[in-house]
Amino acid sequence: MTFADYLNLLISALLLAGTYAAMAVGMTVIYGVMKIVNLAHAGFLMLGAYFVYELHERAGIHPLAGVLLAFPAFYFVGMLVHWVLGRGIPVSDEPTLASLLLMFGLWLVLQNLGYLVWGTSDRSILTPMTFATLRFGEITIPKIGLVVFASALVSLLALEFLLHKTWFGRSVRAMIQNRYACRIVGVPVERTARMTFGVGIAFAGAAGGLLGLLFPFSPDFGRPFLLRSFVIIVLGGIESFSGVFIGALILSLAETFSILIIPASYQPAISFGMLVLALIVLPGGVAGLLARKRRLR
Amino acid sequence: MARVVRVLPPFLLLALLALLPLFHLAANRVKVLFLTFLLITASVAWNILGGFTGQVSFGFAVFYGLGAYTTALGINAGLSPYLTYPLAAAVAVVASLLVGLPTFRLRGPYFAIATIGVGEAVRVIMTNLAFTGGASGYRIVEHVPFRQAEHYYTGLVLATLAVGVSMLVRHSRFGLGLRAIRDDQEAAADSGVNPYALKLAAHALAAALTGASGGVYARYAAFISPDGVFAFQRSVAILLMPIIGGVNTIWGPVLGGGVYGVIEEELAARFPEFHLLLYGLLVILIILFEPGGLMGLLGRARRLFQRGRDA
Repeated sequence: MTFADYLNLLISALLLAGTYAAMAVGMTVIYGVMKIVNLAHAGFLMLGAYFVYELHERAGIHPLAGVLLAFPAFYFVGMLVHWVLGRGIPVSDEPTLASLLLMFGLWLVLQNLGYLVWGTSDRSILTPMTFATLRFGEITIPKIGLVVFASALVSLLALEFLLHKTWFGRSVRAMIQNRYACRIVGVPVERTARMTFGVGIAFAGAAGGLLGLLFPFSPDFGRPFLLRSFVIIVLGGIESFSGVFIGALILSLAETFSILIIPASYQPAISFGMLVLALIVLPGGVAGLLARKRRLR
Repeated sequence: MARVVRVLPPFLLLALLALLPLFHLAANRVKVLFLTFLLITASVAWNILGGFTGQVSFGFAVFYGLGAYTTALGINAGLSPYLTYPLAAAVAVVASLLVGLPTFRLRGPYFAIATIGVGEAVRVIMTNLAFTGGASGYRIVEHVPFRQAEHYYTGLVLATLAVGVSMLVRHSRFGLGLRAIRDDQEAAADSGVNPYALKLAAHALAAALTGASGGVYARYAAFISPDGVFAFQRSVAILLMPIIGGVNTIWGPVLGGGVYGVIEEELAARFPEFHLLLYGLLVILIILFEPGGLMGLLGRARRLFQRGRDA
């Protein structure tokens, strides 16, 4: 392998990391505020891909516009889901059996609705960009990867703004710290939780659309990405937003460069290996590591 | 007297099932019953971890599949099948420790999510492993005539063993510790229960039973493949049964396994793409309205009946 080959791998890892971050961040906000592991995340990723696909195929809407539309659409879907399932999601400091199973049931429903509507065959969203590349000498950058990366980054910046510059964001961050104290000082806990769930699902849907632009998908599309999302948030420290970026970067680098030493057919096992490694080596994630350093000082 | 009435039905059921092959049932019926015994075993095993201890696992197919492959390799190496079942259980126990050691140390959702990953990882590895035939599967060659009754009784004994273990656990000091962990881990740890060790032990026990049932299945099926025994679907099935029947009880998982075993074949044949959707809806409805599952419903019905009689 030449230097340019390594550089190409590095670039594709960086591009993938952006999408991974957008994919995992929806899970982080929901976990942080409600302590629910959203297993249905996988189902919403899949629905997001089909949402963009259908808009593109039937209405001729540009996939990127489709991704943009996915935010409001899935936001309301998320609020609806929270409204319907709300009584089954008990207030708790750690994930309960009930909330895990509830989200799992929802995932089963979504996935099999997918099979019912779209069948088992793979689909992909094809645009003129899909196979186009930018060339700089020996370095090639896939155009679609660049566009998806940019969109993921813009949406993450928008979320940063939402979380740090609005009242809603302040309530979210307060609830991540201590939901009981929030109730005392008058944060509308229930409404914030519902809106957070909506935002989390909105990000799942939009990220699903972005992933659908990169990879072919079927109704089982979300499963490998569910585990990846979780690896990312564990690496990042489960409740930390900046940790998500670091986690996404670590995972995409590991996945991309592992093909040099591990046969590609073993690739789906890598994210699990990363998870076990992360749990053993740094259970608090990167954010926990930084926090410990700060405390020591 | 009341005690006899309570204790009798399980023994009657067991006697009935033990005598059933004498009535010359159709081979297909016996097969469904045999598979149901294996399902019940796995269901009861899941409940020891998921119900008694409150740790949800989405990865029991790993134990089932590893047990199946252990028995398959053992029989082909010339071991007696009955010797391979403890081996299958042992391999499953080792796998359970590998998953449990890094995840049970931490509080939170780590264990549940890791179990989703481990199923996928093991399936991928088995699909690529050369000496077990990889994705194309593995065949068991046994030079004895096929006797269905033998399989039937093996299944029945295993299921009975599982229920017996489940009863022992529930009424022991160990089971009390598990319940304490489920209700409040911190309080349990404060009163001298070691959550880490107990969770590992419950996981290992459940894995052993599930591994043995996988082994019994492999000998019956004579052909196993990673997409069959390690499928995520199988993990889902093992988790659905105790939830449908009623978690954290002795008879709920048995009931759930029985209902699932008898219904599944019919349902899967009639609505191939629909039946998992139904199960998903069922899980949501159970959690929202009757977390006790079928056992909870039965209890409710009995209370209604008694209130009617008292009035």
